[in-house]
Amino acid sequence: MKTSGLLVGSHNITQSKHCEQSLVSQSHSVIMYNNVCFLKVSRMLPGGMSVIGVFLVTPPELSKEAQNTLRRLIFAVDKHISKGRLWSLTEEDVTEKVTLHICSKTRKVVCRTYDVRDPKSSAKPADWKYQSGVCTSWPLLTCSVGLNLVFPVLEMHVLPQDMEKCMKEGLQTWAKQIEDGLCLINGDAMPGEVELLGGQKKNAKAVQQTFRAQILIPMAEPQSERRLTASVKVCSGSLTLKGMVQCRAYLHSNKPRAKHATEVIKRDVINTVSSRVEMFLEDLLMEGEDKGSVGVQQVLPRRVFAPVPGMSLCVCDYMFPDECVSDVSDRLKEMLDWETPEDSIDTSQEAVPEAPTIDLKNTVVQKNLKAKSTLDARPKTPSEDPTEAHKSHKTYYAGVAMAAAIALLATGTSLIYLSD
Amino acid sequence: MVVGNIILRLRGSLEFKCQLDSTDVPHVQKVISRTFEALGSQVKAESLVLSLSSSPVFLWPNKGGHATAGEISPNRPCKDLQQLIQTDDQESSRKKSAKKDKNNPTAGIINLTLMTEVTEPGVLSAPTLLRGSKKHHLLQTTLPMDCVVSVLSSESISVVCGTLVGALCSQLGDMEKVALRHMKGTALLIPQPFHFLLPAPVGLVTVVYPAGVPDSQLETQRKELHSLFELPDDRPYLRRANALHFPDEPYKDGYLRNPHVHLNHPALENGKPYLVQGVYSYHHYMQDRVDDNGWGCAYRSLQTICSWFQQQGYVERAVPSHKEIQQALVEVGDKQGSFLGSRQWIGSIEVAAVLDQLLGVTSKIMFVSQGSELASKGRELANHFLSEGTPIMIGGGVLAHTILGVAWSETTGQIRYLILDPHYTGAEDLQVITDKGWCGWKGPEFWDQNAYYNLCLPQRPKTI
Repeated sequence: MKTSGLLVGSHNITQSKHCEQSLVSQSHSVIMYNNVCFLKVSRMLPGGMSVIGVFLVTPPELSKEAQNTLRRLIFAVDKHISKGRLWSLTEEDVTEKVTLHICSKTRKVVCRTYDVRDPKSSAKPADWKYQSGVCTSWPLLTCSVGLNLVFPVLEMHVLPQDMEKCMKEGLQTWAKQIEDGLCLINGDAMPGEVELLGGQKKNAKAVQQTFRAQILIPMAEPQSERRLTASVKVCSGSLTLKGMVQCRAYLHSNKPRAKHATEVIKRDVINTVSSRVEMFLEDLLMEGEDKGSVGVQQVLPRRVFAPVPGMSLCVCDYMFPDECVSDVSDRLKEMLDWETPEDSIDTSQEAVPEAPTIDLKNTVVQKNLKAKSTLDARPKTPSEDPTEAHKSHKTYYAGVAMAAAIALLATGTSLIYLSD
Repeated sequence: MVVGNIILRLRGSLEFKCQLDSTDVPHVQKVISRTFEALGSQVKAESLVLSLSSSPVFLWPNKGGHATAGEISPNRPCKDLQQLIQTDDQESSRKKSAKKDKNNPTAGIINLTLMTEVTEPGVLSAPTLLRGSKKHHLLQTTLPMDCVVSVLSSESISVVCGTLVGALCSQLGDMEKVALRHMKGTALLIPQPFHFLLPAPVGLVTVVYPAGVPDSQLETQRKELHSLFELPDDRPYLRRANALHFPDEPYKDGYLRNPHVHLNHPALENGKPYLVQGVYSYHHYMQDRVDDNGWGCAYRSLQTICSWFQQQGYVERAVPSHKEIQQALVEVGDKQGSFLGSRQWIGSIEVAAVLDQLLGVTSKIMFVSQGSELASKGRELANHFLSEGTPIMIGGGVLAHTILGVAWSETTGQIRYLILDPHYTGAEDLQVITDKGWCGWKGPEFWDQNAYYNLCLPQRPKTI
């Protein structure tokens, strides 16, 4: 019996004693080693949440090989997720990632961490702790960011081949502005060390607190060189990115400080823009260049939110203009293996632009088609899992950098023991 | 300056970006104007934020002056903003003298910076990407916005915000005019604002000049402004060097400016002080790593005078070094080649010659056969300071000094001289210089009563 997956959660800077009940569910076996999945899952995570590790369940005879696999996996996962990232890690960022090996027979859990910044790093032992009582409400930060960016396409560049390059360069500058910008929380410019949840009782089952973030940047960067005239560049075209993105970030509830809050929301702002641009470019690459798209406003995928079952958290997904809610639901099932009723998916956060490229007729047709097919009634949890969930109320002890974790599912991990 | 007024200074950069599809002049002008118009809208947008320097306060001027700090509501008088500014009191009292700079009207200025809120929710929908494929020239720069407004300290914050936004818009308009006037092809000269404190009733004005165009080529503009502000047409008020120097911007060259303003002037019966006008730097022995102790006093006095002409905008050249002064004297034939590199003294005649050679400035020479006669020169000196207002170099006996002013009573004949002494060898310590009298008022006994003296009285060139 093989199970594998990614560990998703939030890194905490200090040692934490709180842990999350771990849910493990079965994967359906996809054989291909698919890097894209790590990235897809990573894109579904709002700010404050990230892929913090991988887990593997194997029979006892494969335990040793599993460790090697885990090690390879964790570095690969980190590499693919951080490729194309437009913000930089700071000294305070935790770069330890977790590998979990669970023996299918004895249920023994071996937890190790690796510093993914150092390719030669060796495994450090860590303890994995389950705790009863689900971690309830993580404070939430929200904001919506307006974009009005024009990127020049210099003469030497040719579209569409160089589109990615031009966009990346332009977005890099914008991302730096956001990173360096000032963040107000609930209208206040707090010093970084201020605790956001000051005065709350530790174990109080509080209602989820929502904070409004505002980001201020200088209107322009003053010129670094002493120029007398405006710079002149010959361009063959331009790329205009306009619109509003809805941003969300969660804070680990163990005494979050203002500086953590500003960091997670800014990173979400940057990620959501770069993710959807990447997705758009990937799609363009796959579908091929549409000559008719020049001079027409093309709609980028818009962000929708879906609740995590059993928790007051949301993950997100991106909907292309020709997609509908059921596509999102399918993807959530595929990536994260949980059922999301279509009406619980919030598509209202980002308004649909009046773009000519949306083919309504097509969407209606699609919807009709979906309505006719029955829902994929796969057995959710085979024999192992219900017992697993109950058994997991054991007292293993947690170690470094584990604030809260949910084990989610990702398809496709390279496994040496495919024959089952 | 008007009492009961507060000065607010708003600075920041605005991005100027425009696409020129062709380079023919009418098209270029149209696009430039449209770009400035768009910037005007940006400045009036609700997403504009003003950051109050050295404080955690942010203001949204286009949302009625709404602010972050709870205690600041838009109806409060703008002077309340000053209380929120965290000043570094330790720093300023160490450098300057204890006396407050009463003569500087821009002390206590409120500084603000331009920012924008990217999270200001507009009526925008999810992002779209538009690909344009027209070939064009992209013109890009940042505009160095710098607005200064003077408002009543009791004026409400919301009204002051409106005034500041208005000042930004009008500065954009001025910048547009300058940009279009000086544009050549696709070369857009960056418009730069300068602030000037003009004599009453005009007060504080801001003028935009194009970068890279020297003052000598901007005479037409200055003539227009002189007539607009009814300024005399024989002395400069609006050259870049005349720009107002804000107290929170220290001079970077390390020289002291106008140490005399920190002194108490003598109170003479029926008498009053007549002082140097404008700004000069204090030059003295041992500066610039030149050890001229014992022979360079007249050179230093000459340097002080040159600094005056530079800072009043008459010349753009830097203050000459001892070498350059000697070179000039050889060039006019006043000295032989062997003079170069020597430690020979110079006198008022040589000072006048150098001023003429290097700066194009003419001087009047006054001669007194005995130091005691200087006591009777009150009226002449007073008149000089009234009409020319330039520092005077006086040489005689074995010493040279600079006279910065005279206090003289017509009825009693009492006279005092404001002296700047170039023989000082210490550091630029204002406290020491004023306390020990290196810049101070002296009586007629200061002069060697029996020696003869020559005075060089530099004359202002009649130019704007």
